[in-house]
Amino acid sequence: MNPKLERLVYIGIIVVLAGYLLHLGKVKVELEKQIPITIDELYEMLGNSKLTVQIIDVRPYEAEDEDEEDEEELNYYTEAHIPGAIPFPDCDETKTPEDALPNINPYLPTIIVSKDGDPEIFQKCAEKFPFARNLKGGILAWDEEGYPEDEGEYEPPSAGGGGGCL
Amino acid sequence: MGKVERLLFWVAIGVLVISIIGMKIQISQLEAKVSQPAQVSPEGGEE
Repeated sequence: MNPKLERLVYIGIIVVLAGYLLHLGKVKVELEKQIPITIDELYEMLGNSKLTVQIIDVRPYEAEDEDEEDEEELNYYTEAHIPGAIPFPDCDETKTPEDALPNINPYLPTIIVSKDGDPEIFQKCAEKFPFARNLKGGILAWDEEGYPEDEGEYEPPSAGGGGGCL
Repeated sequence: MGKVERLLFWVAIGVLVISIIGMKIQISQLEAKVSQPAQVSPEGGEE
């Protein structure tokens, strides 16, 4: 066979296979979106410093009135949140603290944390995060299991900081 | 076309085929999970 033609055939086969692999990757991401991640899976993931995962907390950031704060309810980010979680209330930039916005990366694998794992707010956020998964049971399930939590204002990670957060 | 070049093409094709098979297996596992109905706990709530 003509060497040029043979090379073209090989390249063609590789392009077709690579395209099919990309298609399968997209299908996999779409399927993963439909399966919520459990709190145990998330806990294991956070303990593994090799995995980079972004936790987005979509609950309101803080109570407008201090009397509204009730630690049992876990309605607000400042009451309790998963360590390292970034506040992004309702997945709306206008409600997000300014120092949190630059740390939100839509292209990282993302876990969406709501109060109770509400699929509606997850669907809204999934449009902004192509690699998002919903946390099953939300912060209520995380809190119930007694996994570590932080409270208070969002603190952006210091420059050069790294490693697992648990 | 040299033997080495031909070998490299086959290696690339082999890697892609293995990746596709691995991805297919993962997808079928995910599909099984998605189609699996939600388990119901004895208390009556969803697990």
